[in-house]
Amino acid sequence: MSLAAEAFVSQIAAAEPWPENAILYQPLREDQILLSDCASSLAVQAYLRMLGLPVRVQCRANAEYMSPSGKVPFIHVGNQVVSELGPIVQFTRAKGHSLSDGLDDVQRAEMKAYMELVNNMLLTAELYIQWCDENTAAEITRPRYSSPYSWPLNHILAYQKQWEVRRKMSAIGWAGKTLEQVYEDVSQCCQALSQRLGTQPFFFNKQPTELDALVFGHLFTILTTRLTTDELSEKIKSYSNLLSFCRRIEQTYFESQDRDSQLGASDYSKGPSLM
Amino acid sequence: MGTVHARSMDPVPMHGRDLGIHPEDLEVVEAQQETKKEVLENKDIVVQHVSIEGLGRTKEDYLGYEIADVFNAKNLIDVMTKSHEARMKLLRLGIFKEVEVLIDISEGDDALPNGLDVTFEVTEMKRVTGSYNTMVGNNEGSMVLGIKLPNIFGRGEKLTFQFSYGTKETSYGLSFFKPQPGYFERNFALNLYKVTGQFPWSSLKETDRGVSTELNFPLWMTAHTLKWEGVWRELSCLARSASFAVREESGHTLKSALSHSMAIDTRNSAILPRKGALLRINQELAGYTGGDASFLKEDFELQLNKPFLWGSVLSASLWGGMIFPVGGQPISIADRFYLGGPTSVRGFGMYCIGPQSEGDYLGGDAYWAGGLHLYTPLPFRTSRGGFADLFRTHFFLNAGNLCNLNYGEGPQAHLQKLAECIRWSYGAGIILRLGNIARLELNYCIPMGVQSGDRICDGVQFGAGIRFL
Amino acid sequence: MAAPMELYCWKGDYGLPSVDVDCLTVLAYAKFAGAPLKVHKITNPWRSPTGTLPALRTKEEGSLSQPSKIIIQLRKQKYNADYDLSAKEGADTLAFVSLLEEKLLPALIYTQWVDAKNYVDVTRRWYAENTSFPLNFLLPGRMHSRQMERLRLIRGDAVLEPEEQLEKELYQDALECMTLLSQRLGSHKFFFGDSPSSLDAYVFGHLVPLLKIKLPNAKLQQHLNSLENLTQFCSNILLLYFPSDSREAQSRKAPVHTDGGGDFNNEPHKRRNQILSVLFAVAAMLGYAVLSGIVTIQSSRSELGEPQREDRDEHDDEEEEE
Repeated sequence: MSLAAEAFVSQIAAAEPWPENAILYQPLREDQILLSDCASSLAVQAYLRMLGLPVRVQCRANAEYMSPSGKVPFIHVGNQVVSELGPIVQFTRAKGHSLSDGLDDVQRAEMKAYMELVNNMLLTAELYIQWCDENTAAEITRPRYSSPYSWPLNHILAYQKQWEVRRKMSAIGWAGKTLEQVYEDVSQCCQALSQRLGTQPFFFNKQPTELDALVFGHLFTILTTRLTTDELSEKIKSYSNLLSFCRRIEQTYFESQDRDSQLGASDYSKGPSLM
Repeated sequence: MGTVHARSMDPVPMHGRDLGIHPEDLEVVEAQQETKKEVLENKDIVVQHVSIEGLGRTKEDYLGYEIADVFNAKNLIDVMTKSHEARMKLLRLGIFKEVEVLIDISEGDDALPNGLDVTFEVTEMKRVTGSYNTMVGNNEGSMVLGIKLPNIFGRGEKLTFQFSYGTKETSYGLSFFKPQPGYFERNFALNLYKVTGQFPWSSLKETDRGVSTELNFPLWMTAHTLKWEGVWRELSCLARSASFAVREESGHTLKSALSHSMAIDTRNSAILPRKGALLRINQELAGYTGGDASFLKEDFELQLNKPFLWGSVLSASLWGGMIFPVGGQPISIADRFYLGGPTSVRGFGMYCIGPQSEGDYLGGDAYWAGGLHLYTPLPFRTSRGGFADLFRTHFFLNAGNLCNLNYGEGPQAHLQKLAECIRWSYGAGIILRLGNIARLELNYCIPMGVQSGDRICDGVQFGAGIRFL
Repeated sequence: MAAPMELYCWKGDYGLPSVDVDCLTVLAYAKFAGAPLKVHKITNPWRSPTGTLPALRTKEEGSLSQPSKIIIQLRKQKYNADYDLSAKEGADTLAFVSLLEEKLLPALIYTQWVDAKNYVDVTRRWYAENTSFPLNFLLPGRMHSRQMERLRLIRGDAVLEPEEQLEKELYQDALECMTLLSQRLGSHKFFFGDSPSSLDAYVFGHLVPLLKIKLPNAKLQQHLNSLENLTQFCSNILLLYFPSDSREAQSRKAPVHTDGGGDFNNEPHKRRNQILSVLFAVAAMLGYAVLSGIVTIQSSRSELGEPQREDRDEHDDEEEEE
């Protein structure tokens, strides 16, 4: 996941403070970005807002290829390029900004474990639904993924990516799952998150951590994205504390845009809504 | 009467194999022939039959054009000249291993007293030839497999396939070539390829997969090529430390371009010519036939050679080019021009002139480069010909510039931009000629006019290549 | 109680009931839950009902292959080691299992299959020695490429090379994961109270191979050894639930890898093979030389005492043709 060795990152990073012109790159918002990428990008944006670090969002059609690890989003800070939430957390920590310093060892262990839970189950489920469910892939994912390119490159790239994702699914044992089972897994994951959250405002009581940013990114994107069916967002809606958690974070950290109270209309972090 | 084998004629340059000269045969000719020989030379003859023997899969109608001229011969010298020319034409088709010419008195019922039969005995090339090489280069080894099928359908079509499997990359190319029957210079080629290239001066790695078709035809003194190319380009950073400007160019693009190229070449040799001139003008228009890239690209190459005192040659060359974006699309780094290095402006690092960002050279929208050379044979040569003839010493003066243009302004502004900040260099060195295709140079260069950001190669610089400024 | 189910898994060694991570997980869970399983320890994955190991064969549901599915199946049969867990602990289980799979498993795959020295010296040798002919030629290589591919896909890289940078990242994540597990375990006997649960099975399955299988490049092992509560945890489970295997290991002499002579001991035919291959190469070259005429074998009649000048001339001619 982290492409720069920690020593390298912290040495260079610690030297400079966070600049004003940091930029976050993601695929094109309107036509190209997919559910999983949007979720990851939103998580990073939420994290940086929680830290109070300014960052501008720029959309590029080739963001995925620009990224050093091949995954979006990535940030360009000074002359450093760091991609994905994990390395970005390390990078900001090296600059002296951190959200999880106040946690004790057991809590930190739990935080990391739950972050991996979201990556392992939610993110994988999102990828599965996007690329392995033929309906979604044909109606939404492939057209969106290939929209910046001209014929025949658009088909080639879309099918290449689909093939790659499907192979990954078989490597981790998800190839045999049906869509129902995947929804079931999402439900389980949400249940675990809901359990952990309980009635607290954030996962570790008063202060948000990177876990909150990650969970918010994924849940909010799922809730505000229209796919071929609503089943995925329904699974989340059945846990009311998760809903209010998302609303709370949205209101606290994304308030600079005007919003109405309903989810799905927020301009800043609106996911792709189609069909 | 004995048969007469055509002998090589001194005035006509011979670039092929022997025509089966058998001096012993001439001695076998009886003494009476001596007197008759004189008579034959001046006597009018008629060529009655011209035939080709030894054809397997080659279709006869394809060869008809090459040998047709022999019928027009009026006397024996003419016959020999024309059949020699016809032999040359047959050989250049690239489908025969050997061609022998047999001129004989015609026999048969309709034989005229002064009739001659000319027979070409040919040996066709094998149906399939293969080659296998291994190459070792910069930290990379590869295995190259080649298969060639000359003359597959009998009319000079050629199919070649080359596959290179290396430690870092694999590449392949499939090519189909078809000449027009009777007019070999007009031909058509279809290519399918995948090549990968690494460009450390830009920290860029490029993989191209493409298909191209081209049409070559001569027109009066010029050779023209019309080509359509569709290529899927994948660019990526070569190293983690690549500059952000190069990182922004990573990704996939599709280029579909029509290009036209015109060349006039009157030089006596492609490498180290003694006299003659070369003018080549290319243009390429991308975007109107699909694809992402959209631009108009022009470039030209001019070279003049003139022999000078004491066996030396004076040569002047000029290169230039410009690229204009069409429809507001920015121009990709893979389409821009690059300048500098042992094959263009000497004294500078390979493609290390011009706009750059954090040490990576991005290329430019327009360039020009000029060179003035004096080639002299090696001093103290003991004899003509021989090994020393492959070497030359040369003194050179190179200059050039590469820059980006502001497209809003007019051509005056463009020219002015090209004229400021000129880089130039001078020096001397030794050249070794490799066959008829390539040359090696070892030069001592002194770069001048260096702008900030250029990388120079002060002192000794080695270069190898096909096309030099 | 249903008829006993059958579990196929990899054979054990080094004091472990099995050498494979997933098999260990399933075996441990079965012991924890008290499920009566008929265990087949085999070395040929093709003999398992699903083609991979571990595999659980049940009467009703056919055969299942992944540890998570097997555990679910066992739970359905009322062999549930997580019965006493609270909802929060259940959530924690999910989370920590994800942590294991995302952070520890790639490093495990790397250290066993991708790291060159480890793979050649230990992993490949074990699989070659323990699988029957002719599989022992095919299987290790096949498993090797599959594991490399799996690692590549998990990480999402385009090209995977066993290089320092990759190793550093993977090990860093794994070391952190182990530290976190150690912190979570604290001084408890098991992760949730006094009786083991599925999380304990997963942790056991992932950690105990590191503990017991001695590898030449042992960075992960060293770190694990420094986390006392985890080593204690693993040994505990081994002693309590797999006493027969650990006894076996103690009684059997552990294979000693000495440098130098070790190679020859393990490959007694190495010298013989070397000589044979050199002879073969020389014979091939000679044969080629003779057949293509570079060297001709002359029968010399002069030895028989019949000097014939004409014959000698002929022979001279033959020689010239070379």
